[in-house]
Amino acid sequence: MTTVTEAVAASAAGLVPAGPVAPGLVTTSMAPTEAAASALAAYCSQRIFRPGPEVLIEGNPFRRPIGPPGAGDRDFSVPATEAEFLGSGQLIAGRVLCNAYESDMILLPPAGLASAKDDFEVFYGDEVRALRDAVRPGLERYAYSFLDDAVTVPPVRTLEELQAYFLAEVGGAGAPADASGSNPAVDPAAEVTGTMRMITECRRPEEAAALHLIQLALDALTEASAMARNLGGSYGVEQSELFKIFNDEFGYGVYGAKHSTIFKEMLASVGLRTDVHAYWNFYLTSSLVGVNYFNWLTEDHRGMFRYMAAVTYLEWLFAQGFADTGAMLRAVYGDRVDAKYCDEHAHIDVHHGRMTYENLLLGLARTHGELVIPELVRGIEDTKLLLRLGDADFRAQIDWADALDRHTEAGAALATSAADDAATSTLRPDSPFSTGVYDSDRLVEVTSGEADVYAWATDHPHRLGTGDVLLVPRGRLHGLKAASPEARVTVRTVERTSR
Amino acid sequence: MARVIVMDLSRHNTVMIGHDRYFVLHEGERSVLVRDHCPHRGGPLSLARRTPDGRRLSCPWHGTKVGVSAVKRSCLPMVRSGDEAVVVLPETGVPVSVIHKEILANLPPDPTHDEGAESR
Repeated sequence: MTTVTEAVAASAAGLVPAGPVAPGLVTTSMAPTEAAASALAAYCSQRIFRPGPEVLIEGNPFRRPIGPPGAGDRDFSVPATEAEFLGSGQLIAGRVLCNAYESDMILLPPAGLASAKDDFEVFYGDEVRALRDAVRPGLERYAYSFLDDAVTVPPVRTLEELQAYFLAEVGGAGAPADASGSNPAVDPAAEVTGTMRMITECRRPEEAAALHLIQLALDALTEASAMARNLGGSYGVEQSELFKIFNDEFGYGVYGAKHSTIFKEMLASVGLRTDVHAYWNFYLTSSLVGVNYFNWLTEDHRGMFRYMAAVTYLEWLFAQGFADTGAMLRAVYGDRVDAKYCDEHAHIDVHHGRMTYENLLLGLARTHGELVIPELVRGIEDTKLLLRLGDADFRAQIDWADALDRHTEAGAALATSAADDAATSTLRPDSPFSTGVYDSDRLVEVTSGEADVYAWATDHPHRLGTGDVLLVPRGRLHGLKAASPEARVTVRTVERTSR
Repeated sequence: MARVIVMDLSRHNTVMIGHDRYFVLHEGERSVLVRDHCPHRGGPLSLARRTPDGRRLSCPWHGTKVGVSAVKRSCLPMVRSGDEAVVVLPETGVPVSVIHKEILANLPPDPTHDEGAESR
């Protein structure tokens, strides 16, 4: 293993500029070197980042398995393309970057520090922080560069153009401004459509709704912590305006009103764990990339303009979005769900949408002019793409997790057409558990014993017996756990002619 | 039994009663001691600015407009003689202190105020 000193020194000396940096644009310009690759391997091999036997990680915010042994040996020198957005590289990079960004936040175990003191020391320790700093630029370049290619920034240059552009965008997203030009009040009686409706129509709507809450939990249990990175410094009126919103998010200093607190109450009301990252294994790739994007823009302060615009766009859409989420939760869980979190956002994000638009987006454009307006637009365009990709990922996961029986039938039908590239492993009940995704369609066959498939966080995983073959489409998150003293599993590639 | 305090208005314009804050709002020739609390989300109305018609306070937090007459209904009984004001406090047993704060709500209406936001 490379020592931390060697890795960091070599990395710092060997970072290679990837190209010219456009003024005012956030660019991850450093390609990872061999030393950075060694640092990544060393980082991933840390005890707290290796998987244990548990499916859920309870009471310990410092245990964050990145993947099976060897995950850190992957080559991240070539950035992922949009087509590779849901690939295994993005999942691993997403987990590492999430760890990296959150090691700037204070997290403590709910049962008291004594319950995880040793892991606390490792997570915040010198070695992990130094390795983190060595690997982060390269992984950011790997994870986010596709945005440069996938996002086309419209030619918006003036304040008036920015106003017209923004109002057209939110109008197109289903939240047109009201008669006064403000974020409209929500329609609580609006019909639930899109992904929220898909959840209610699942065969297992409670599992699907839980998976949605789990994706939100990735950010909501530390809500506004990324925003906190943009509160310091001195940048005029906009700084104070952002603080007003932060103050709301943090419940005016009253713990019971803090948004993360009422989010926990919502989770608890439907029987979900409230520990930070208890459901670490069930964060979808797109969720990690999306949340990491906001941490990246606030960690690298060159990203502040993109951040402010992205927040403006989201806050504007959140008001009706959370009203719809509340309606979905009530349809799925009935009266037992405590949806105050959704109701709170359906109310306050009407204000936040107006405040961010008038005071942050237009405020920064007025003060800094055409130098930053393209960056503001870029933040909105990035966010639109990440929302679209994230929605597609979630819907595909629901389709897959809700139909594992049908994917087992499909696997049996495809068994004879699989490639001759079998990789066999033996699972035992106490084997390390980790979820992952494949970069191509695979057939997972249990050749002896029984194994449980976790495609969402459920108490009732899908059981595979000896001879069962499961089709796992590329990009679909899943994990396997032995349901017998020993289970042998063979994985083979398969090409499908239709989907 | 109610408690009574005497404020020197030349030095103090704010009373803390436990966690509740009251400030002296000037309304024409009169001064009233009103609660520093927007009914929407508790924003500090002492930092509000008056709307151009002078009849409402625009909360500095979310921009909510609160009628001055409504704010005055939250006032504590106060009798003023020159700079000396006698205030009757609720008997809550919590600590009471008097301080001086910046009161933007007593400034003239904000000339930059966007009247178009009134209906929001």
